[in-house]
Parts: sequence; C-alpha cells; structure tokens
Amino acid sequence: MLRLIGRRLLLMVPTLVLASMLIFALAEVLPGDVGRSILGPYATQEQVEQLNRELGADRPLYERYLSWAGGFVTGDWGESLLLKTPVFPVVMRAFGNSLLLALFALVIIVPTSIVVGVFAGLRRDSALDRGITISTLSMTVIPEFVSGVVLLYIFAVWLKWLPVSAMPPEGSPFYERFYYLILPAIPLMFLELGYIARMARVGTVQVLAMPYIRTAVLKGVPRSRVVFGHVLRNAMVPTVTVIGSQVGWLIGGLVVIETLFVYPGIGKLMVDAAQYHDVVMLEASVLLVAVVYMFANLLADIVVALLNPRIRKGG
Amino acid sequence: MADEKFTREYGYHLVDEVLAGRMTRRQLLVRASVFGLSATAIGSLLAACGGGGGGGTTASPSASGSAAMPAPVMGGTLKAQIPPETAGFDPLTIFDQGGIVLVFQFCEYLLTLDDTNALKPQLALEWTPNSDGTVWTFKLRQGVKFNNGQPFEAADVVATFDRALNPKGASGALASLGGILKQGGTVATDTYTVTFNLEKPFADFPYLVCSSAYNTAILPRNYKGDIVKEPIGTGPFMLKPNSYVPKQRASFVKNPYYWGKDAQGNQLPYLDGIDFVMIQDEAAANAQLQAGAIDVEPQTVYQGAQALFVDPNLRVDSYPGTGIREVAFNITKDPWQKKELRQAVAYCLDRKAINDTLYNGRANLGYDTFWEPTVFPGSPTPPERAQDYNKAKQLLAAGGMPNGFTATLTTSKYLENPQLVQLIQQQCKPAGITVTPDIMSSTAYYAGANDVTPWLNYPWTITEWGSRPTPGVYVQAMLLPNSTWNTSHWNNPQFVSAFDSYQGTVDTAARTKYATQASQIQQDDTPIIVPYYITQFRTQRKNVYGIKGPGSFFFFCDEAFKTAS
Repeated sequence: MLRLIGRRLLLMVPTLVLASMLIFALAEVLPGDVGRSILGPYATQEQVEQLNRELGADRPLYERYLSWAGGFVTGDWGESLLLKTPVFPVVMRAFGNSLLLALFALVIIVPTSIVVGVFAGLRRDSALDRGITISTLSMTVIPEFVSGVVLLYIFAVWLKWLPVSAMPPEGSPFYERFYYLILPAIPLMFLELGYIARMARVGTVQVLAMPYIRTAVLKGVPRSRVVFGHVLRNAMVPTVTVIGSQVGWLIGGLVVIETLFVYPGIGKLMVDAAQYHDVVMLEASVLLVAVVYMFANLLADIVVALLNPRIRKGG
Repeated sequence: MADEKFTREYGYHLVDEVLAGRMTRRQLLVRASVFGLSATAIGSLLAACGGGGGGGTTASPSASGSAAMPAPVMGGTLKAQIPPETAGFDPLTIFDQGGIVLVFQFCEYLLTLDDTNALKPQLALEWTPNSDGTVWTFKLRQGVKFNNGQPFEAADVVATFDRALNPKGASGALASLGGILKQGGTVATDTYTVTFNLEKPFADFPYLVCSSAYNTAILPRNYKGDIVKEPIGTGPFMLKPNSYVPKQRASFVKNPYYWGKDAQGNQLPYLDGIDFVMIQDEAAANAQLQAGAIDVEPQTVYQGAQALFVDPNLRVDSYPGTGIREVAFNITKDPWQKKELRQAVAYCLDRKAINDTLYNGRANLGYDTFWEPTVFPGSPTPPERAQDYNKAKQLLAAGGMPNGFTATLTTSKYLENPQLVQLIQQQCKPAGITVTPDIMSSTAYYAGANDVTPWLNYPWTITEWGSRPTPGVYVQAMLLPNSTWNTSHWNNPQFVSAFDSYQGTVDTAARTKYATQASQIQQDDTPIIVPYYITQFRTQRKNVYGIKGPGSFFFFCDEAFKTAS
C-alpha cells in the first residue's frame, strides 16, 4: 500500500513537468500577446512591441520557460505580467475559494447521491427506482448556466431567500460564507447527483447479484447487516472512483458558476489568464489544480483499496 | 498666446449665425463650449439670440424613468458594478470600461463632458485658441490639491502631457494626439496657465484633452509611474488603502482635499465612498441589480436586459450616444475595391428595422457619415439612405456583379455584433448578396500585429466603437491615410483636403461648408457603413441620484447620492 502511494507520488513529478511545458507551448498558440492585452486593441503595434520587449515577452519560448521554471521550483511563483502583482497570493486566494465551494458541494452531493443511488439499487425496477433514475437524469442534463440562472432569479431576485452572489461582504464572519454558497452549490448538485447516484445504483445492483450476498441472505443475516456490512462496502468501489475524478472539475472547472454567482474562484482565473496571455498566472493556477486532481485520484484509489482488500494486497 | 478678443468676436459670430437661422441654439452651446466661452458668456449669447437665457437648449438625457431630483443626502456608500479591468487602471494606458471608471473616481482632466457631450470646465476654467487654432491657452483652476495634499499647478499639466506623449511610451494619447501635439509642445506660461502649441490647426483640440481622451488624466509632476502603489489624483474620491483586488473589487473614500462644491456651496462629494465590484457577466450584473446587491451598473446592454426596463425598483437612464458599430469594407480586398458594390450593400439595409430589432428603436440612425446632426449638433444633414433593392441591383450591375456575390462578414462575439451580422445577412439576400458570417472571440478578433490582426485586415468587418465626442475625432482615428485604425484602408485625397480645411478653421460658415463636402465624399465613397449611433443606458436603483456623464464609462459621482428608499 505504501509502495503504491510512493509510486503515485513520484509519478506526479514528471506529469507536472510535462503539464507545465504543455501550458507554455499552448499559451503560445493562442492568438494575441500580453502586450496587446495590456494596452488594448487601439494601441499601435510599435507600442505593443516595445512593451513586450520591456516585459521580456519577446524572448524565445524555451528561455521564458526555463526562467519561469527556475523560479517556480525555488518557490518564486513569479509576477503576473498583466496585473503587475505577485501570482502566489492571487492564485492561493482563488484556490481557497474554489476549494471551499467544492468541499461544500461535495458534503451535500456525496451523501445525498449515495443514499439515493443505493436506495434505487435496493428497490431495483420498482416505481421508486424508475422515479429516482428519471428525476436525477433530468437534473443532470440541465446545463449549470440554465439551472443557475433559474435558481438565481427564483431564490435570490424574486423570493430573496438567498444571497445573489456567492461571496459575503468584506468583514463577514467565516461561517456566513456557507450561507452564501448554498445557491451556487445547488446547480452542482443537479449535475453530479444523477452521475454519482447512478454509479451507486449500478454498484448496488451488481453486488446484490453476487453469490456471497445470496449466501448471507440464505444464512438469515439481517437485511440491515447485509446492506451495511456487505452491499454498501462493495458497491462503493466504482462510486468512490467517480467522486475522485469529479473533485478536480469541482475545483477548477466551475467557470460558469463562478461567473454567474460572481465568485472569485480559480476556474475564472485560469480562463482570464489564458485569454489575456498571462502565462505565469496560468501556469501557477493550472499546476495547482493538476496537483489537486492527482491527489484526489490518489485518495480515491486509497479508499478503494481500503474498501477492497484484493486491490490493497495486490490480489 | 490666448486671443480673448478673438474669443469675444467668435461669440458675436455665433449669435449672428443663430439669428440668421444657420445654427440652432444647441449648436451654439456646443461650439461655444469648444472655444472656452464661460457659462455666463454663453448665457449672454443665448439671451442675445432671444427667448431667454439657455432654457431648452441643453437636451437633457432622455431618461426613461427620470424622476424629480430630491434634496441631496450626505453620506452613504454607493455599490456599483463595473466589468473587470483587463490590465489594471494605469491612467496612461487604460482602454476598457472597468479601468476608465476607476480612474474617473480619483483623477480629473482639464475639461470634461456634460450629459449632452458639451465641454465643461474641470481643472481648466477657461480655454481659448489663437486666430488659426494652432495655439490653445488654458487657464487653470487655482486652489486645487492632489489627494496627498500637494498643490496642483501648470507644471503638473506639462508633465502629464510630456509623459503621455513620450514617443517611446505606451500611452494611448500618442495615437489620439498624434500629428497634432507632440512631446514638448505643452508649456507652462505661469503657475496657472498652460499653452499647447499644436503641429497643425485643430479646431476640436479641447476634446482631445477632456475626459473623453481618458489617457490624459492629470497626474502630478513627481508621479513615479505605479498607480496601484501611488493612486494619486485631484478627483472627488481616493482609493481606500488595500481595498483593490484586481478584477474583483475596489473601494473609494472621500478625498479630503477635493475642491468641488455644489450650486448651494456644499462641499462635494456627497457620498462617503463607492464600493466597486467587478462583474463580467451581464446577466449576473442585472440579477445583482434587481436583487438590490448593487445600486448601479454604469452600462446596461439592451439585449437581454429588457427586465430592467420594467422593474419598478430600477430607473434606466438613456443617453443618445456617439458610439457606433463600424461596418468596414477593406477596399484593398475583393470585391470591395468597387465603390458601387459597397454602395449596394448600403442600399440593402433597412436601418430602422435594425434599430427596432437591436435597440427597440432607441438608437439614432446613421447614414454612413460621421457628420450626423442628431448625434453631433452643428453637422450638416446627410441624405438619408433608405432600403432600395432596385437601386442596389443597379449598383451591383454597375459594379460588374449583376447576379450578386458572396462575401464573408467578420466580427467579434461582443455586444450586439453577431445579431447585426445576421440582420445584414438577411437584408442583403434579396439583392443577391450572400453574406457568410464569421463570428470570433474578441481576443481573436483583435489579436496580432496591425498588419495581420483580423479587425484591420479582413475584407469585411464590424467593429464596436465607444463614445467619440466629435466627427473629427472619429475621422482622425479611422478615415485618414495615416489613421492608426484605418479599417477600410481608405485614402481619398479630396476627403483629406476637405477634412484638413474643416479642422483648420474656426469660422462656422466655413466649417459647415467643409463638413458638408467631407460628409458627401464619405457617404458617396462608402468606405464604411454606419447603420446607427448607439444609445447608452445606465441603470440604477430608484433611490440613487446625481450620477453624471453621457453614459458608458462616463460615470462621475461627485454629486451622486442615495436616499433612504
């Protein structure tokens, strides 16, 4: 098990190096340059070229990459060319916001979808199963920009039950942030519920068909013990893997939700950085999300290994 | 040197023009403001024209829900949305609404614009040209201090313009003042007098140093160049320390040194401060406004915002804008070398239908010239261009394309540009012109060097232009052979000659003559189509009053206040 963790951690290093190179190269392909982003469409080309020279943005790609990478590995994340401010606090603030929203959403989504999915699996082919399947699937197919706008207008603009933005005013106590995150978390729940609940349902249905479950039932083991002791534990393996793969998206992929609910998260930061050629900002934020993504998957694998001794022991 | 005699005589000349019926009272107001006539002098002129002193001459903004102004309330904080600033708010390089609105709160200009686009004093009290418009003298306001307590003097104005016009600098002023004023051309005659020595006569020069020329904000002579570390200016507010989070928020508090007082002598600003929140998405900003989370959005985009117009808690003020959507034919590319084909497209357009669809009929129609009297008072009236398919077909035949042709129309996915492409596509079809839409992101549309960027090089484009205060500023930017943003690559010597004559004289009759010539040439040659002049909308909660400026990024809050409900 420890060897598995060690191997996965070591694998992260070349993955991140490769990712950082790709980001630099891809940013180069995007139309425009940072000088034009700063000075706008109406600056003359001479002014743009002059600024690019001053910023060092006209140096060869490899030179800029090595210069950035040299700083990054020694803890210097660099300065945003666009905002003229150190990247580290900006990225960490946005990352912290995204992490909070993702965790808050997961706390709502994971138990709800597992309960719903397992319940549907246990009542396979019943009206309840079909009802759960249809309703969760319907929620999943609604894009978050549609459900988000509708929820925003119903609960924030018309009923005024919930705040219209995801950030409380400056100086509010920390716990108040959760109240502000309720509305943005709901469209995420809509999206994820159907997906995770279906995995939980399928896992439950498959496990229920296993001979050892039949044996346990025939032996007279109480149904609650069958469900909690055998079904749940084994049915969770695919569900946990899916949840692990969703964490990265929940942190770095919520551009629409962040835009709609005016939430300064890392998704919007990455899009802006890419759009305006702020490569230093883009590198820091994408690599951070990549690390989270890899850790989330590693964590999911560890949980799966704990749930399934055959994986843990290499069987 | 200033020529006060000339200014006085010019005032009499304007009165003669009004009395002779060659000029309206509103036109007099605008022209008088260009030549720095004081409010009292203008009032006297209007009285001399008969009918009282100025009543009815200033077109107030056609606020759809304009309410009677209650007594000002001191204190309170205004919560305002702006789009995120692309690259900070350096006054020398700002170009987008977010950055400009931030600068307008703590910086000031020699002159500013009122709600009708007429010039009015800000840091300069008087401005006069010499007789041929090559030397302009500005008398500065005395007793003004920067927000660090440093007194404002002529040396600060000289330093500001020399900094902005540094040939190796990055300021947008280099383009707007290019060929008119160069570094070293600004001289302090005494502590409170500045003289601008122009490279050529330019009758609209005051507009190039007003708030519309937003890169000419007056900064102190000892400004070091980092506006975030040193947010210094003479404006009514000042940046609250540590409140600026790029692209998220910025807070401003009262500038204790501010010089402004209202008509009753009360110290301005009324508000204690302004909290700006940067919101990119228009739907999100509209929801925030409707929910009461913010008090005002400086620019409301009509498309998608219809709910705001009927919300009983909101007031939408509309301002006849000078911004345009420029439909440019690159005359160096096929098939647009032929004037007849450009004209054919112009006659395919039903401009009223376009206005009705895109602006619910609230925009001013354009007829492919910048001298449009409904937008720029004093301009000669151009012939209207109604939709006429017979004429379009004749022009197609004359242009060697009797069966029509296919052309790609490129624009950015921004504001109503994509919808305008669709309308042009539909309206060109009956004449046999097949339009292929090419909609790209704003980043891609403006990307690349000037010789490759789509907006300056593709055959047929639509580009959005914000407010410009005079036809001359538009022409200077895009219709002269040396214009930096000559999208059409147009080079018409007759037009250049007429335009130079127009800018080189201050005589009203001569200006009208040359404007008529230039306007006729522009419309006839049709290097660009100007289907309409946009209308600007600003939306606020009903308890918010006194925000000034003709819409868009013109967002002046020195006399803004909030009532209890």
